[in-house]
Amino acid sequence: MDKVGIPRGLFYYYYGDLWKCFFDKLGVSYIVSPNTNKEIMDRGIKVSNDEMCLSFKVFLGHVDYLKDKCDYILVPRISNFGISNQTCTNFLGAYDIVNNLFDVNVLNYNIDLDKRETLKKGLFKIGRELGKSFLDIKFAYLYAMDKYKEKVKKDIEINMERLNSKNTKILIVSHPYNTYDNLIGMDIVKYLNSQNVDIIYCDKFDDSITSKLSKKISHDLYFKYSKNNLGAAIYSLDKIDGILFISSFPCGPDSLANELLMRKIKKPYVNLIIDGDMSFTGIETRLESFLDVIRRNACV
Amino acid sequence: MYNIAFPQMGDYCVPAYFLLSNILDANIIKAPKITNKTIELGFKYSPDFVCTPFKYTLGTMIECLDMGADTLIQYGGGCRYGYYAELQEKILNDLGYDFKMINLVIEGRINLRRINKLLKQIDSKYSKIKSIYYSFITLKMIKYMDEIDDFIRENVGFEVVKGSFEKLKEEMLIKFGNVKSYHELKIIYRYFLNKFKCVKVYKPDDRLRIGIIGELYTLMEPFSNYYIEKELAKNNIEVKRFTNVDYLFLRKSKRMKKYLKNNPYVKYSMGADASDNVANCQYLCENGYDGIIHIKSSFCTPEIGVMQVISKIAESYDVPIMFFSFDGQSSETGFKTRLEAFYDMLEMRKNK
Amino acid sequence: MRDCYLGVDIGSISTKGVIIDDRNKIISSAYIWTEGNPIEAVRKLINILKKRMPRGYKVKGIGTTGSARKLIGLMLGANSVKNEITAHAVGTMAFHPDVRTILEIGGQDSKIILIKNGIITNYAMNTLCAAGTGAFLSSQAKRLGIDVEDFGEFALKSKNPVKIAARCTVFAESDLVHKAQVGYPKEDIIAGLCKSVVINYLNNVGKGKKIESPIVFQGGVSKNVGVIKYFKEVLGCDVIVDDNGHLMGAIGAAILSRKNKTGEEYELQTKNIKFETKGFECGGCANNCELLRIYKNGKLIDSWGSKCGKY
Repeated sequence: MDKVGIPRGLFYYYYGDLWKCFFDKLGVSYIVSPNTNKEIMDRGIKVSNDEMCLSFKVFLGHVDYLKDKCDYILVPRISNFGISNQTCTNFLGAYDIVNNLFDVNVLNYNIDLDKRETLKKGLFKIGRELGKSFLDIKFAYLYAMDKYKEKVKKDIEINMERLNSKNTKILIVSHPYNTYDNLIGMDIVKYLNSQNVDIIYCDKFDDSITSKLSKKISHDLYFKYSKNNLGAAIYSLDKIDGILFISSFPCGPDSLANELLMRKIKKPYVNLIIDGDMSFTGIETRLESFLDVIRRNACV
Repeated sequence: MYNIAFPQMGDYCVPAYFLLSNILDANIIKAPKITNKTIELGFKYSPDFVCTPFKYTLGTMIECLDMGADTLIQYGGGCRYGYYAELQEKILNDLGYDFKMINLVIEGRINLRRINKLLKQIDSKYSKIKSIYYSFITLKMIKYMDEIDDFIRENVGFEVVKGSFEKLKEEMLIKFGNVKSYHELKIIYRYFLNKFKCVKVYKPDDRLRIGIIGELYTLMEPFSNYYIEKELAKNNIEVKRFTNVDYLFLRKSKRMKKYLKNNPYVKYSMGADASDNVANCQYLCENGYDGIIHIKSSFCTPEIGVMQVISKIAESYDVPIMFFSFDGQSSETGFKTRLEAFYDMLEMRKNK
Repeated sequence: MRDCYLGVDIGSISTKGVIIDDRNKIISSAYIWTEGNPIEAVRKLINILKKRMPRGYKVKGIGTTGSARKLIGLMLGANSVKNEITAHAVGTMAFHPDVRTILEIGGQDSKIILIKNGIITNYAMNTLCAAGTGAFLSSQAKRLGIDVEDFGEFALKSKNPVKIAARCTVFAESDLVHKAQVGYPKEDIIAGLCKSVVINYLNNVGKGKKIESPIVFQGGVSKNVGVIKYFKEVLGCDVIVDDNGHLMGAIGAAILSRKNKTGEEYELQTKNIKFETKGFECGGCANNCELLRIYKNGKLIDSWGSKCGKY
């Protein structure tokens, strides 16, 4: 029985639930790499180019971890979601980079709405590659999509609810593959939770709203994920007490979009750049003083 | 009347100046050549890990604004270069400059109708027909310049009288900048092509041939790559470079479409020129070049991704490859030592 | 009279010189500190070399290498001026013809050179920072109050080297301070440092390079037995350290000068030559190039550092 490996990095944080649901329904066995740990990160740093961003190194670490534990590794290529909705070039290159660096079978699909390559087509393609019948795939696809949309909707609801709470609220502006990664963002999230802060996640917004809203700050921006981040910031700006930026070093889109946002908003913010060998102590100090600033502002 | 300026890249300021001064009734400011001061300014006001061309062009913009420019033109696309303009405008506004920014490429695309509208705001008498005519001449001029540059790269390392190519090229660029019609451009081009071909060169058969590939800005702006081509020429090396404006505009997409079909190394476009460089690398390996040099500005994401693919190809063909990453502040001595060792190495291989 | 050749390797920290004969035999050698003044250092070096040189030889070639190679090349009238990568490879291959990998860690920089069939196939230098070079080790030794020469001996005593973040000097240093404060024994910290040098080197300079034996380890840090131990441990194979390891660059320079010889005879005379350098800021354009002008006997013979070629 063919086993599919799903690296817990980059794409996983957008499509992981969808994939799992799809494979479950399709009867394909799969393995998801564990939460990022020191070993996985070190493996990633070892195989990747020095200058790659930390998130991509971690992703390659997950691939490296999975390489001899499964028959296929799922690495899609995501180019764009239509005009002026591009992704980071790492998302464009991921498939070819993995294919060249590792001696593995890469299960691949392409999302390139500019060229009419959709998610639906992509999932059908991998379904066929795994030897499933058209009807089975269609059934699994519809089911997975349904579940996926439901989950997204629920996530947004929770996020919106939190936005209306009376507690201290901080918006985290960061890509989900950084926010929820065990070694990149999770320590920060845990720390904030322990400090009794309500966290608003910028990736849990309705992107049809945020994408439009982002135009208020930036007319030209064409990175889909950055647009969502900006839109989320505008949407929640009046309701939050501060913004926390988390970037992995050296993120390309963030270096421009976050800088623009920082220059245009008038809210306290802190910008954390995460690189491999960092101790949490330094970050904690900065977070602590940031919370002090916010709480003092709230008192005045 | 508006005072227009644009960040420059290599010698392409000549055709750009030619085009703008012919289609617009405005004062076109020639950006000063990039110097250490430009870099200093750019680095001071740019975000930390934005790629280097952002810093260079921002520095030039500040210099132009200080010279009296009130309208800036920015262009670019393919990667985050396409998004520079908006943030640069904000940074410059925050510094207290008051000006108009024209971004030719919006959301990664060139929209001619929008550009027309923008230019009309600058010059009410602006005519579309005239600009089509001059754009045509400009494109031809760029094509001629690139052709001559290719020829120079192949030969300048072997000139008998040092500096003859450079002198001739300077003359040509001045003449190019003053042409009035396509006919005149063609005559001047033929005249100089002939002259270039007559420059005395001594080309030994066992000369080293090196191909340079990489990120486009660093390739085309010699200041940003520490004049790597000149350095190679000094050591009697023939240089091949694919990337130039003519190639990027007109030939690249067609070539890539063909290349990506059933390719063992890359299946998709990996952003900007990344897959293109894979093709170039393979071409150089298959055509008997002695070595490959890959240059890029620091933090150039597409090139970073493709570097390992390129070195894998070079390794499989047993062609040495060297990578340089320029951030505008790295040590020139270290760069030169490594470059020197590279052609020493190629020489040793060749003599065995 | 027999022929001999002088090779000088001027690094930022130390200056090395050798005189070899036709058969690569070292007939005179010297190793002194550069002390920030390469011209004076070379003057001293030449005097020492001359004193140690047996009679009956005449110098038929001079080669220079190292970071000040151009300057000293001019000063000595050298017939070969080569970068340190080539020089090190050529020098090492003369003594270890079958060498495949050269590891070198010096005062300010470190490099790796891969060789196959007597040809350099790949190399790298540290470009990012000075972590794990000799200068880093000596500053840390000072911090711990130990002579850097005893560093290796200390490291060998340790059974449990501590882990030290090795990616960059700043991190390594703060980590080190922290570990010392917490109360780890000195030898474990020192051993940890030595190990971090090795790991840092392999991750940075040696990244993506296939390290094959025979491996030769040289440069100032190769005198540190602790570092040698961890190189052997991490690489899992033997590492050759030559007694003349620190001279390999100079030997290579001498060999290169022999290959490049013109038949002319050189005199090792530095006393009567007045050799000066003067800094000068051009100011002709916004580049403000810092030029270095070189005067020999009061006459300007060269200037460097100009970006536009005016000088």
